[in-house]
Amino acid sequence: MPKPWNRRGGDRTARETQILGWLFVIPSLIAVAALVLYPMAHGWWQSMNSGGFLFGEKPGYVGLRNYRDVINDPVSREAMAHTLWYVLLAVSLELVLGILVAVTLHRVFRGRGFVLAVLILPWALPSVVSGVLWKRVFDPDNGLLNSLLMQLHVINQPHVWLAAGRGPIVYITLVHVWGVLPLVSLIFLAGLQSIPDEVYSASAVDGAGPWRQFRHITLPLLRPSMAIALTVGTLLAISIFDEIYVLNGTALNTRSILIQVYNTTFAQADFAHGTALAFLLAAITAVLGALYAIALRRSTV
Amino acid sequence: MAIAATLFAASCGGSSSSSGSSASSESIRGQTITVLVPYAMPQKLLNQFTAETGVKVNYVVTGWDATHNKLLVANEANTYIADVAEFDWSFTGQFAGAGWVEPLDNLLSAKTLADLKNTDAAFVSGGKTYAACYSNDFRVSMYNKKMFAKAGITAFPATFDELATDVQKLKSSGVQYPLAIPMAATEGGVTPWYLLTLAMGGQLFDSQNNPVFSDPNSAGYKALQWEVDAVKNGWVSPGSVAMDDSVALNKFTAGENAILLATGPGNMPTANDPSQSSIAGDAQIGLVPGNTGPGGSFGLPEGLSIPVTAKHKAAAAAFIEWWERPENAIAIYKTQGSLPCGASSLKQLSDTGQLQGGDVINQELPHVGPLFPGGAPLWYAQFSSDAQGLLNAAAKGQMSVSDALNQLSTKTAARN
Repeated sequence: MPKPWNRRGGDRTARETQILGWLFVIPSLIAVAALVLYPMAHGWWQSMNSGGFLFGEKPGYVGLRNYRDVINDPVSREAMAHTLWYVLLAVSLELVLGILVAVTLHRVFRGRGFVLAVLILPWALPSVVSGVLWKRVFDPDNGLLNSLLMQLHVINQPHVWLAAGRGPIVYITLVHVWGVLPLVSLIFLAGLQSIPDEVYSASAVDGAGPWRQFRHITLPLLRPSMAIALTVGTLLAISIFDEIYVLNGTALNTRSILIQVYNTTFAQADFAHGTALAFLLAAITAVLGALYAIALRRSTV
Repeated sequence: MAIAATLFAASCGGSSSSSGSSASSESIRGQTITVLVPYAMPQKLLNQFTAETGVKVNYVVTGWDATHNKLLVANEANTYIADVAEFDWSFTGQFAGAGWVEPLDNLLSAKTLADLKNTDAAFVSGGKTYAACYSNDFRVSMYNKKMFAKAGITAFPATFDELATDVQKLKSSGVQYPLAIPMAATEGGVTPWYLLTLAMGGQLFDSQNNPVFSDPNSAGYKALQWEVDAVKNGWVSPGSVAMDDSVALNKFTAGENAILLATGPGNMPTANDPSQSSIAGDAQIGLVPGNTGPGGSFGLPEGLSIPVTAKHKAAAAAFIEWWERPENAIAIYKTQGSLPCGASSLKQLSDTGQLQGGDVINQELPHVGPLFPGGAPLWYAQFSSDAQGLLNAAAKGQMSVSDALNQLSTKTAARN
């Protein structure tokens, strides 16, 4: 049985350790409270109040009215539908093309290092810059695409690529995928490199060809990488903004939910509805993130 | 010659050399002010201000829409953004009502305020003046006289029927897209619709600010239909649906189009400046066409304000005073394109023959009226934002004219 003074000494040390721990943590807590929690709480409060004097309204608490308004607003609903399309198209393309690129780059070939360096370039470009580059491609009057197709006599007059129909969402998604694909490919490449060669050698001895190896070895063992790529791809696609804004501004036919948040909050000065929409988007993102986290946990346990 | 200045102001004082803020001349020395305006300013002019007052200027230029959004965010957060800030005619109701800007009545000299009196009406709320007008902007048309001559056209069309005929002649003479009309989902993309509505003899709103543009017989409806038809008929380039006003001006000055239907008279010096334009010497101002003769137009003046969060208000006031002095306002007009507002500046411009297109401007002025006769409503920013999306959708053929205007009308009526 330890002596009383020892126990007291131990208690003191534990207490000091605890205090020291808090001293280390407190600056971070203050920073998080000031930069994350307070703005969130303020934003939440703003979303529950009227737009106030800016719109000739009596300032005050309105409960969930702003949330009801944005849910019932056809433009916001359309922006949500567009965002869903962006996510579905972008994530599907990124997964398929990402695996394809990773499998290709997994093989050792001459110039592989150069190809890897070139591959990473679009990811290194800020999305605004890539938007500007692609604007030169899609520009109806002086764009590269129209000029090329007209020279090849595929079209006889300039086409407005980002005008109407589902096409513009597909084109903008392609620009987005162009930027994100390098990251997704590298995630898959890292996953491929973690699969031991012995597994392939053993399966080859058992008579498995490349396709069966891909289906029964590569794909199942890439599941953790897929979960990560899916999460990253979804979060990037759901928050798509720069590419749309640069290529087509706030036009209704390509407006994403984040553009709608921006437009409502800043262009219309309607901070109450804008923050309500932002919180709805945050909730959707959180649910998707949680689902992916569960999937990732299951795939790695 | 009857001069624009005489229409703008009754008081035509001579050239003013008063800074108007003599009390602050020493106290402001060494200060640095930030100026947030959507138009560039030659550094040489800013250096002159610094040499004169000892105040350094951090001159920040962003696009009009971005400037508007930056100001909104900073003001809402009650944080400093600039000492002198852009103040559009459409800001008055919201910004003044929210107490975001200082009244200038006691910050500027009586002489400057008097000089600006006839153009500052758009910035007055509750009897106080919240901005000093620096851009005497209203819509006129601009055309390329060389292209007109080649097409055998001797005068700018006075009516929409004549315009249609001339557009065909221009196309026949080799101008692929005779008209430049911005139709992107931006503020600059909706002002042509405002202009066309007035030019077609109508209004967008009644005296109670109720929308009157959804009826197919209304001028607003016909104006949008005219824009949509201009796209379909190949009068404007297909890219017009993604083009804002600055790009439209660039294309016009690059010689791609023969007519810039809706622009500011201040763009004349730019269009005729060989260093900025490839059609220098050929740009002319034309009266906005109408149904039977020159049509209505509207003013969209821009001013300089001092936010309540400004750090150096006296220095900011000195900068505004300096800008409004005729010699500076005229130098800015020549390089930046903002047509001065002060009566004495306009008089000096006219007297010295420096007001490009002065005769046409003079003829246009009687047709210029406000877009909102009762003043810009608090919901203008929302209306404009909605209009940008819906009109752009109609121009692209994504939505019918009727659907776009009905939606816009319903939304606007609900806010009014």
